[in-house]
Amino acid sequence: MAPPTLAQKDKKLFADLLSQYENRQLTKGRKTADQILKKYPEHGETMCMKGLILVHLGQRDEGINLVKEGMRKDLSSHICWHVWALIQKSEHKYEDALKSYIQALKFDKDNFNILRDTAVLQTQTRQFEGLVETRHNLLHLRPYNRHHWVGLAVAYQLNGNLPEAKQVLEYIEGFLRSVGSYDVEFSELLMYHIRILEDMGDFQSAVDMLESHDRTKGGSVLNRMAGTEVKARLLAKLKESNADDEQKTAWTEQADAAWRWLLSQNADGYEYYKGFLANQGIDLANVTDENREKALEMLHGYFNAQFATAPRRLALHVATGQEFKDLIKPYLTNALTKGIPSLFADLKPLYGDLVKRQIIEDTVEEFRATLATSPPSTGDSIEPTTYLWALYLLAQHHSYLGRHKQALEILDVAITHTPTLPELYMTRARVLKRAGDPHGAARAMNDARLLDGQDRFINTKTGKYLLRAGMVNEADAIFSKFTRGGASAAVDLEEMQAMHYLVEQGDSYRRAGKLNLALKKYYVIQKVFESFREDQYEFHQYSVRKTILNVYTEMLKWEDNVRSHPGFIHAAVATVQIWVALYDDATLGPKTTASDVSSKKAINKAKKAARKGQPEADGANSKKATATQSEDKGLDPPRPKDDDPEGLKLVLAEDPLERADKYLTGLSELVPQNMDICFAIYDVAIRRKKYLQAVRMLTRAHSLDSEHPDLHSRIVHLRNTVSSLPEPIPAPVGPVLAESIASLLPAEVSLELFNSQYLQKHSSLPMAIVAHAKVARILKAPQDEIDSILFTVLKEPVQLDHEAAFVVLSYLKEMKSPRSEEFRIACNDRFELSTLFRSDEEIAALQRSFTESGESLADGEALETVI
Amino acid sequence: MNIRAVRVEDLAGMQDCNLHNLPENYTMKYYLYHALSWPSLSYVAEDHNGRIVGYILAKMEEVDEQEGQPATNHVPHGHVTSISVMRSYRRLGLAKKLMLQSQEAMSSIYRAAFVSLHVRKSNRAALSLYRDTLGFTVKNIEEKYYADGEDAYAMQLTFEH
Repeated sequence: MAPPTLAQKDKKLFADLLSQYENRQLTKGRKTADQILKKYPEHGETMCMKGLILVHLGQRDEGINLVKEGMRKDLSSHICWHVWALIQKSEHKYEDALKSYIQALKFDKDNFNILRDTAVLQTQTRQFEGLVETRHNLLHLRPYNRHHWVGLAVAYQLNGNLPEAKQVLEYIEGFLRSVGSYDVEFSELLMYHIRILEDMGDFQSAVDMLESHDRTKGGSVLNRMAGTEVKARLLAKLKESNADDEQKTAWTEQADAAWRWLLSQNADGYEYYKGFLANQGIDLANVTDENREKALEMLHGYFNAQFATAPRRLALHVATGQEFKDLIKPYLTNALTKGIPSLFADLKPLYGDLVKRQIIEDTVEEFRATLATSPPSTGDSIEPTTYLWALYLLAQHHSYLGRHKQALEILDVAITHTPTLPELYMTRARVLKRAGDPHGAARAMNDARLLDGQDRFINTKTGKYLLRAGMVNEADAIFSKFTRGGASAAVDLEEMQAMHYLVEQGDSYRRAGKLNLALKKYYVIQKVFESFREDQYEFHQYSVRKTILNVYTEMLKWEDNVRSHPGFIHAAVATVQIWVALYDDATLGPKTTASDVSSKKAINKAKKAARKGQPEADGANSKKATATQSEDKGLDPPRPKDDDPEGLKLVLAEDPLERADKYLTGLSELVPQNMDICFAIYDVAIRRKKYLQAVRMLTRAHSLDSEHPDLHSRIVHLRNTVSSLPEPIPAPVGPVLAESIASLLPAEVSLELFNSQYLQKHSSLPMAIVAHAKVARILKAPQDEIDSILFTVLKEPVQLDHEAAFVVLSYLKEMKSPRSEEFRIACNDRFELSTLFRSDEEIAALQRSFTESGESLADGEALETVI
Repeated sequence: MNIRAVRVEDLAGMQDCNLHNLPENYTMKYYLYHALSWPSLSYVAEDHNGRIVGYILAKMEEVDEQEGQPATNHVPHGHVTSISVMRSYRRLGLAKKLMLQSQEAMSSIYRAAFVSLHVRKSNRAALSLYRDTLGFTVKNIEEKYYADGEDAYAMQLTFEH
């Protein structure tokens, strides 16, 4: 049925409706719509417009229903499709919205607003071919606006048509020449053009262009730093070409001048030194005996550049033997005298060279010995602090090398010397953490915090250490000291996308077996990354308009890869492991939550806090809504209320594997080198009977590290799973699968043999022994046999550290082995500094003693550090 | 420590650094807004592992094109939105180096007449850096500038062109 045709005066009314909506005269618009609908109740476009207005007025469901109804009445109206697209867009359904826009364009191909939104959505969804077409159409409509030319150039570049992009840019520059020489946007446009030439491999043209726009010669590239960096980089690329020697010498000289100028502007730019040396044929990462002298000489030239520290530090990396000794001593003296807390972090990368490591240790020990015997401070002498910082450095040094006791002894001396320096307690915390005492570590970090309560860095560390020690509530109390307006840590830090907090919190819940709460946190992380993806939306228009394009196209690439962030990978792997565990043993979920009273209390508290912390979100807003019905609430849907804040429903989800799979979407392509992701995908795929995907992941892991313990157990798991299927898998999958498995584990080798060979190869590695035990379990070995295997980690020649021991203990507990207590006690005796192997009661007492020590959470005075 | 202009892939590290150090925090979009609008004004300090240990996030206060109205101050000038260095990397002069790089860019690229910033009245270390080392002067006190009610010193440094 064709939609009703409006009479002339009603057409006028409808035009009013459109302009009233444009001007957000919402109540007026609604009245106009009602007026039209009274006469034409079937008029689809009016229904859609009224629906849209209702959504703005906060009557979302009603509005959307009306829009849907209106669309059904008139599927050939661009207005109906446009309205629908706006609603889909507001729900961030970009692919769907784009489809609706394309429909709308079918009925009104020259609609400027629709085309503009289409271009944005095509960029957001990376449909660059369509984008080029849309940009063409926009330009056709508004050829005198330079932004549309810029938009077309960007579309070409994104679609990989660099020559076309270049042509458009040349054209724009042609008519922009009249703008006058000083124009930041024009400068950015030129840099974008140069970048395209570089990407086309036309380095010479790029250099020529940079030179013809050189600012020192009155040119228009205003950012000399960026321009010179690009030039130096281009010259390096030109040198790799087949030019004659004379030409190469000229390029080398030009590049040398460029690097020198850059270094004169920023003598702490590592990349500049790298380029400066590379230009002379020296690879800073791999200096050889032939070019060492020259490298040092070049760096030496910058030793006295104002404030610069980079050249001296790089020289330490380059120098060897006596030269290193000559350089390290003044370097250390200077840093220890000044009391630079980062000295150890600064030196640590040199430790790969054992000779250098020893020289550093000897030199600092020498300092310490001299300073310790010198007469005590008379007040103004510099030695006492130098002595202190030497002790501080030594403690970090020994701790790093696993000499925990030695480190603690040194710190005791230092703390006696100066009890008010927070850094000493922070290091103590770190040493204890490394030694396997998360409780003592948290206490020490809190001691540091009490000395400087105004410092958020120590506050954050304390919170983090408390989470590591399993004290979630105490951690929250600490974190909350720096949140806005006293909002709870959970609310504020979530909103501020604090990855370090979310990850630690999730892990802490997970360690405590509160899988529901752990999942909740890991899903918040997923949400944060979704919002990162959303963030780009506004810039598609903005950046083209501003003509700042290099950084914009970099941003698009970053957005495409943003989920390769370690925080996201960590959360993804942890989430999958939880879902898989829940799939294998559904009792893990509800049991831990129902019986845990203390967590419930915490949850209630968190809930209360969460309600307090969201003033505008829902509650307050709905009150306002009744008061002012005419107010524009915008198109965005209100933030949905979380009806499962504790994750109690979530953890009982009936589709754990599907949820796990969803979290992993795209990661296999994004981080193909990541073993943990390979294993996570395998664990889900094998349970979902996606055998080819499963074997593909193990094959990939095999190519990365064929001896990885987690791979060993999975290879056996795969072959065992496939061979115990009641029916063989039919062709074509079956034979392909068999072949792939055989390339990981030859078919003629029995699983038992494979397992014992693996142990023989890695008999001193505790994690390999765990893998061996896991396989024995897959092969249905009796519990006492598995236990005996695991207990061998305690014997020579196995190198057991507390972390591996804790893994073994957790595995024994997971299997409900009767010998887990015996193992715990053995470890408790062995790792004397560690509290990981204390009994549950002892650990509870440790946590209690922290809370009960009253003042531990009190605010520290803002102490001026005495030194 | 390496000092260099910001890249988009640094922003997460910058946000992390900010959350560790300061009570004034921002969502990613705000970092993107700075980096995509004034890519040459923000700088980072990174350690040997490429971890961001310090940053300066800065912008220009320009004539607002959309409104066609000049901003409160008629001359274009730079503004430091946020600057901080991880505690364990202090006393290396990183804040100063970051600030100087950003100032140079403000002045040379954008012809900024001056740079402004806010600092907590209680933050003596920062105040001394801005005033004594970098030459800023206190323009006025903005009462209750910070969310917790603390006053801010509004400081400025005029560039010599």
